[in-house]
Amino acid sequence: MTEPVIDAIVDVRADDWRGAVHAACAPLVGVGALEPRYPERCIAIAEDHGPYMVLAPGIALAHARPEDGALRLCLAAAVLAAPVEFGHDQNDPVDVVLAFASPDDAAHLVLLRNLAEHLLAGLADQLRLAPDRATAVRALSAVR
Amino acid sequence: MSPAPNRPLTVLTVCGVGMGSSLILKMNAEKALASLGVEAKVEHTDVSSARGMKADVAIAQGLHADDLGSVAPVVLAISNFMDVEGLRRQLEEALREQGWLS
Repeated sequence: MTEPVIDAIVDVRADDWRGAVHAACAPLVGVGALEPRYPERCIAIAEDHGPYMVLAPGIALAHARPEDGALRLCLAAAVLAAPVEFGHDQNDPVDVVLAFASPDDAAHLVLLRNLAEHLLAGLADQLRLAPDRATAVRALSAVR
Repeated sequence: MSPAPNRPLTVLTVCGVGMGSSLILKMNAEKALASLGVEAKVEHTDVSSARGMKADVAIAQGLHADDLGSVAPVVLAISNFMDVEGLRRQLEEALREQGWLS
């Protein structure tokens, strides 16, 4: 399997859910794993279909299609200093925003399966409790 | 038990993109169905493709559930993807209602 690009940032200030999506994608855009249009597509999909990325109370997973500017298999997390509303009827507010992308329809299957397992095992709280970026990156890197 | 003799239950998990949420739902559905002892074939897809497909059960976020009435006789709306036990309960109730689980 292709080695994923993984990064995390903590104590992130976001004005709203759009800012939170951009924040979660920013480290991946910064290293060239995502094109800058990728977070814009995530936002556009949510504007068209509703807050699809909100998976559970407090947790969102921003994602779009490979053709939306996904250059590498990648996963990032932004832990927000203050939660934001996504407009989800049950899972707002959100303070852990994950972003992931896959360059094709198959590369992400293992990564996403591992992500789901780690989320079930309490990954979101590990990220929330991380005192610094390095700790958060380590926690998220366990997913690969 | 399955909807017809010698046929596994067909389940479609659906999200807006077809890459992430629907795949996590697929994993959860497989776990829940296994714990119910139901033999099933679970596939995941995006909501546009799903409209042209048929299954026994469709599982999606609440915001897509209304679009899936023509896809499956049973449509389950999920709000918390981390709640596998809740999904198991929803599946169990729906399958009993259909007479697919005794």
